[in-house]
Amino acid sequence: MDILNNLIFGFGVAFSLQNLAYCFAGVALGTLIGVLPGVGPLVTIAMLFPITFHLPAVPAIIMLAGIFYGAQYGGSTTSILVNLPGETASAVTCIDGYQMARRGRAGPALATAALASFFAGCVGTLLIALAGPTLGEWALRFGAAEYTALMLMALVASAVMTQGDAVKGLAMVVLGLLIGVVGVDVNSGMARYSFGVLELIDGVGFTVVAVGLFAVAEIVSNLESREAREVYTGKVTGLMPTARDLKDAAWPTVRGTAVGACFGVLPGTGPALSSFATYMLEKRIAKDPSRFGRGAIEGVAAPEAANNAAAQTAFIPMLTLGIPASATMAVMLAALTLQGIATGPQVMFDKPDLFWGLIASMWIGNALLVILNLPLVGVWVKLLTVPYRWLFPSIILFCCIGNYSVSNNPFDVYLCAVIGVLGYVLAKLECEPAPLLLGYVLGPLLEENLRRALLISRGDPTVFFTRPISLVFMIATALILVVMVVPAARGKRHGT
Amino acid sequence: MKPDLWNNRDFLAGLLFIVLGGLAVVLARDYPLGSTMRMGPGYFPTVLGGILFLFGVYVLLRGVRSGDKVKGEWGYRPLALIALSIVLFGFLLDRVGMVPAIVVTLFAAAAAGREFRWKEVLLLAVVMAAFSVAVFSYGLKLPYPLLGGY
Amino acid sequence: MLVSSATRLLALMLLLCAAQPALAQAPYPVKPIRFLVGFPPGGTNDIVARAIAPKLSEYLGQSVVIENRGGANASIATELAARAAPDGYAILLVAPGHATNPSLLKLNFDSIRDFSFITLAAESQNLLVVHPSFPPRSVKELIAFSKKHPAGTINYGSSGTGTTVHLSAELFQFMTGVKWLHIPYKGGGPGLIALFSGEVSLYFGNVPTVIQQARVGKVRAVATTGLKRTPAAPEIPTVAESGVPGYEVTTAYGVAAPAKTPRPIIERLHADAVRALSSPDVQERLKNLGADPVGNTPEQYTAFMQNEIAKWTKVIRAAGIKGE
Repeated sequence: MDILNNLIFGFGVAFSLQNLAYCFAGVALGTLIGVLPGVGPLVTIAMLFPITFHLPAVPAIIMLAGIFYGAQYGGSTTSILVNLPGETASAVTCIDGYQMARRGRAGPALATAALASFFAGCVGTLLIALAGPTLGEWALRFGAAEYTALMLMALVASAVMTQGDAVKGLAMVVLGLLIGVVGVDVNSGMARYSFGVLELIDGVGFTVVAVGLFAVAEIVSNLESREAREVYTGKVTGLMPTARDLKDAAWPTVRGTAVGACFGVLPGTGPALSSFATYMLEKRIAKDPSRFGRGAIEGVAAPEAANNAAAQTAFIPMLTLGIPASATMAVMLAALTLQGIATGPQVMFDKPDLFWGLIASMWIGNALLVILNLPLVGVWVKLLTVPYRWLFPSIILFCCIGNYSVSNNPFDVYLCAVIGVLGYVLAKLECEPAPLLLGYVLGPLLEENLRRALLISRGDPTVFFTRPISLVFMIATALILVVMVVPAARGKRHGT
Repeated sequence: MKPDLWNNRDFLAGLLFIVLGGLAVVLARDYPLGSTMRMGPGYFPTVLGGILFLFGVYVLLRGVRSGDKVKGEWGYRPLALIALSIVLFGFLLDRVGMVPAIVVTLFAAAAAGREFRWKEVLLLAVVMAAFSVAVFSYGLKLPYPLLGGY
Repeated sequence: MLVSSATRLLALMLLLCAAQPALAQAPYPVKPIRFLVGFPPGGTNDIVARAIAPKLSEYLGQSVVIENRGGANASIATELAARAAPDGYAILLVAPGHATNPSLLKLNFDSIRDFSFITLAAESQNLLVVHPSFPPRSVKELIAFSKKHPAGTINYGSSGTGTTVHLSAELFQFMTGVKWLHIPYKGGGPGLIALFSGEVSLYFGNVPTVIQQARVGKVRAVATTGLKRTPAAPEIPTVAESGVPGYEVTTAYGVAAPAKTPRPIIERLHADAVRALSSPDVQERLKNLGADPVGNTPEQYTAFMQNEIAKWTKVIRAAGIKGE
C-alpha cells in the first residue's frame, strides 16, 4: 500500500538521531512556552528563526512543528492549576479543569488532559497521512455563507455554555461579541471603538481578555475576604485518573478529536473554536449537565482532545495547499520558503522526506509529550501546595510579562488591568466569563462572514439556504433552537 | 424598609449591562449603518449594544423583584492593589528595566494578600526576577532591557 | 568665592563647546542597536528585517536587535522610531504601509519630516492572478471583459483594506476606469483560499505566495505590478507593458532613523546597510522571499517615499477608502 510505504519511509527519516533530538527540543520548548500566557508558539518560532537558517529543512520544520503542537499540551497546565489559560484554546479547559484542581483532583485532570491530547494527536496525524489532500479540498468548499451558518449555529448553541443564569450568560455572549468588535472592520476598513488609540486598531488581544477575565478576577476573588480561605481544598487523593475517570473520559475524547480534526482544517477557526464546540456538545449530551463547571472530567478531556486534533490538522492547508491557516503557520511557511522550499500541492511529491518525515515525527512528538508530561503531573501538583501568598503574586507577574510580550507594548498590560477589574466585578455579580470569551472569539468571525456572504450575493439572503453545506448548518441551528426552547416552554428546566 | 439596591446582585448586573450596551450604541452612532442586506460597520455594534441594553433592563428588573444579594464582600483593597501592580509593571518595564519592574510588581501584588511578610516577599521577588531573566531574556532571547529603560 | 566658581563654570562650558565636534566624532556604535519592526514575528516585514540584521550587525560591529512592536499597520513602531533619541541606536524597518497610512490613519507624526531615510532595502511586487475559469487571459482582455460587464459584478479579493493587494487593484481601476467589487479578507491566507474556491475571480497576490499556485495551475497568472518583470517569473509581462502604461505598485521595505540623527551616523548606517544588502546570503534570503535587494542613497529613498505618499493619497481619495 502506497501510504504504508510512505509512512515507513517517513519513520525512517524521523528516527534519525538529529531529527529525534530536534523533535524533542521542539516539544519540550513548546510545552514550556505553552505554560506561559502570552508567550506563544508564534513568538518562540520567530525567535528561533535564525537557528533554522543553519539547519537543513527537515529538522528545522520538525522542531518548529513540535513547538506548535507542544504548546497546546502546555497550555492546559496553567488552565487547570491556576485558572490561567496559556493558549487560546486552553481557556475552555479552565472551566472544569480548575474546579477539579480546587477539589484536590489536579493530578487526574492534568493526566487526562495529556492522555486525551495524545489520542487526539495520533488520530490527527493519521488523518493528515491518509486524507490530507482530501481534507484540504474540503476546506476549500467553505465560503463565507458556510462560515456564517457555522458561526450562527455555534452562537445559538452557546446558550448551552452557561452554567447558571441563562439570561446573564447570553448577555455575556453579547458583551463578548462587542469586545470582539473593537478594531478595524474587515469589510469596510473602518476602525471601530478605537477612540483614536493606535493600539486598539487591531482590537483587544485574546491574552488581555483571557488573563484579565480568568486569572486576575479569580485571584482577587480569592483575596477578597478578610479571613483566610483555602483556595485548593480537597485532599489530593491521587495523581493519576481512576478507572472511572478514564471510562468517563473515553467517549468525550473521541468526540473531541472528531470535532477538532474538522475545525482544524478550516482556516481561521482552529483549536479555540474546536474546544468551545466540543465543550458545548458534551454538556448538551451529558446525562447530568449540572456536573459541568464543577469539575467534570469530560469538560477537560473533550476540549483537550479537540484542541490537539485541531493543532495537527491545521497543518493540512499549509502542506497541501501552501496556505497558512493562522499566523503561526505563516511563520513556519516562511521558514520553509526561506530555505527555498516551495510548499503547495506538489510538496508531497517534490519533497517526500519533508512531508512524510514531518508526519512521522508528529507521531513521535505526541508520544514524547505524553512521556514528558505524565511524570510532570506530580511536580505540578506539588506546586499547588505552595502557600497562596507566594503563588498569586507570581501568577500576576507572569500575566504581566505574558501580556507585554504579545506586542512589546505596555498598553496591553494596562488594558489587562482594566479588563481584570471588569472581570472581578462580573464574577462578583455572578456573570460567567466563558460565554464572554466565546462571544469574543465568534463575534468577529460571524460578522465578517455574514457581511461578506451578503456582499458576494449582492444582498440576497437566500444564499444561506441554497448552498448545501450552509443549509445543513442552518437546519442544525433551527434544531438546536427547538431543542432548547421546547423544554423551557413546557415548563421543565434543567438544574439551574 | 428601603430595599438595599446597591447590594442587589442582579440590579447591579443589569445596571452594568445597561451602561455598557448604551455606551456601545452611543459610541457607534457615527458609524454608517447601512441596511440589513448591506450592513455597514455600524450595524452590528448598534444591534448588539441594543440587545445588551435590553438584557440589562430585564436583569435589573428581575433583580429588584428577587432581591438576591451579592455574596461575600467586595474586595476593594485587593482589587486596587492587584490592578495597580499590573499597571506599574507596564509603566516601569520600558522605563527602568525588567528587573526593577518585577520587584515592584511583586511587592505591590503581595500587598494585596492577607499577610505581608516583608522578608518573604523580598526573597520571592529575587527568585522570580532571576527566573524570569533566565527564561525570558536568556532562554527566549526576548529583547527587554534588564536594568534601566530605553 | 562666587567669582571663582562662576569662572570655573564658564571654563567648563567653554570646554564642552570645544569638545562638541569631538563628541560628534564619538565612536559609533558602542552598544546594541534597536531595529524596530512594525509587525509581529514571522510576517514578511519581520523576515526581511531578520534577513538583513545579522549581516548588518557584523559590519557595524554591534548587534542589531529586532524589536517587534506590532500594531496599526506598523504605525506604532513607526511612531516609536519618530520619537526615539536621534543617536543612531534606534532604526526602523519602514513598512510598505508607510506610504498609505497617512491617508488611512490619524497619525501623530509626519511621515516624511520626522525621519531620516537611509536606504530602500528591498522591493517586491504583486502578481495578478485569476481563477482558472475566468475568461480573460491578458490585461487587455481583462479590461475589455470588465467594461462589457456591469460595474461591480466582478469580484476581487484582498488581504485587507489598505494593503498593497487591495491598492494594486484600486490603482488598476483608477487608471483604466473599470469597476470591480472589493471583497476584503483578513490576511493573505483567506484571500487566496477565496480565489481557489472561486469566491473571488481576481487577486493581486504577493509574488512568492502565488507564483507556486500559478505554476501548478490552481490559478492563472496574468501580469505583474512592478516596473520591470520579476526575476522569479520573467515570462510574465507587467501590467504597464500590457496596456496600462505608467502602472506601478512596488512593495518597498526600507530602513530609516529619527529625523535629527547626525549625518555621519546616517552615512555609516547607509554604508553598512548597502554592504549587507550586497552580501550573497542576504541576497539569497531576500530572493527566496520574492524581494529584490536595492540599497539606494538616502536622497533617492526620500524622494521615492515622497512620491509614493503623494501617489497613494490620490488613489485612496479617489477610491473613497476611509480609515479612521
